[in-house]
Amino acid sequence: MTDSTSVSTPAVSMPATSPPATSPPAVARCPHHDIRTIPTDGTPLTPSPTLAKWREEAAATPLHYTDGHEGWIVTRHELARLVLEDSRFSQRPSRMPGELRVDGDNEPDIDDEALAAMEVANLLALDSPQHARVRRAILGRFSVRAVRGYEADVAAIIAAQLEHLKAQGSPADLTEHFAVPISAAVHCRVLGIPSSHAEQFTTLFVGTATTQQKMVFVREVLAIKRANLGGDVLSELIRSDLTDAEVAGVTHVLFTSGRDSVAYMIATTTVALLSHPDQLVALRDDPTLITGAIEEFMRYGAMFITLFARTATEDVDFGDVHIDKGDSVSVSPVAANHDDRRFENPDDFDITRDAYGHLGFGHGIHGCVGQQLARLEIRQAITQMLAGLPGLYLARAEQNEPMPFANPVATYEAGSVFVGWH
Amino acid sequence: MKISADTATCIGAGQCALVAGDLFDQDDDGIVVLLGDEPAESQYVIARRAASLCPARAITITESA
Repeated sequence: MTDSTSVSTPAVSMPATSPPATSPPAVARCPHHDIRTIPTDGTPLTPSPTLAKWREEAAATPLHYTDGHEGWIVTRHELARLVLEDSRFSQRPSRMPGELRVDGDNEPDIDDEALAAMEVANLLALDSPQHARVRRAILGRFSVRAVRGYEADVAAIIAAQLEHLKAQGSPADLTEHFAVPISAAVHCRVLGIPSSHAEQFTTLFVGTATTQQKMVFVREVLAIKRANLGGDVLSELIRSDLTDAEVAGVTHVLFTSGRDSVAYMIATTTVALLSHPDQLVALRDDPTLITGAIEEFMRYGAMFITLFARTATEDVDFGDVHIDKGDSVSVSPVAANHDDRRFENPDDFDITRDAYGHLGFGHGIHGCVGQQLARLEIRQAITQMLAGLPGLYLARAEQNEPMPFANPVATYEAGSVFVGWH
Repeated sequence: MKISADTATCIGAGQCALVAGDLFDQDDDGIVVLLGDEPAESQYVIARRAASLCPARAITITESA
């Protein structure tokens, strides 16, 4: 664990023309002995004190990546948005000096076809125009209007899952028996994974499997879909002008992304509400608050400590921040969402606040493509859960203690969330 | 106030249709559709909000002088 006390105040040279001490410089360069790694002293609902300290010192802080190279972490909201909107920052992992490559490239069983598919169509590793071409092939099935069309099916999936949760008896693990199964079932429904393959989808993509095993499954599902086109995302993808390799690559991304984060948000939102009785009462008294509350859930409980790192393709200046060509830049939604320059009393959980503008779904051209669907799932899950379990309380949640997070994209884990009811 | 929406840069995140559904829709391909380029004064606030939330900066608001 990073010891926040070991992070000393960085040495900053202050020329005569510097602003007064009350307005600190936007960037502080660290001396070599002061190497900073992503801090592990936060939990999903208690932001890292170290990140808060860095945010106070500067908009961007030098960061030591796990593979040893140096770059930046952006902690202030305004700069975070600017970086995510700026095409001078490339998303291609091949520009990174170190370990970040496509999934599976270091796995012994991976075949060339699978690697090629990942290279051409990993939405999270492409720049425009190829990114726009691939993203546009699936956009139509994730629009606000398209998502309204899924509402009845999503509601039915959640109603059935709530009965399953109740059948476990109180207390039960909400993550295992409610949040994760909902995310998997909705993923299958919207993407169009045949019901014959739903169980295997869960085994491979909720459980653990090699990239090659996942790609073999992707090919099998796509072969079935090609013979039975419908109104789902995979059918749309197959009908598009993308090549077969691109279709396989995008399908892999869609199978891998967005499911665990929805499960995380359902679990973490439940912990947040049950830990803030005044907010829980407010939402129970006025269920129409849910629309704005979802934005607060996404702001307050954001999963991504950092997003996929970008690489500067040229020297970039943002005010006092100077980023050199080739530098890696990681934006922290968790830090930016708690920036008091953007959100008043940011560490307060307040479902009535205006939380729009949070970076819980990212921002820029790589902003979450499934965010309207995620909003629907979270809204339906929380609304049905509160209505169906009036005596709900939190027994214990693993996520209330700091846990290790995934790398190189640092995310919080939902962990087990035991809830009881009477 | 005048609104314009750039369908070439739109990435279909749907933020505009979410917060200002009277002013913006999405077509079958998920791309922004402007429902009216001259909003009523009562819609100025949500128009500005839609523009500020657009992740691709595809919406431009020109305020009247």
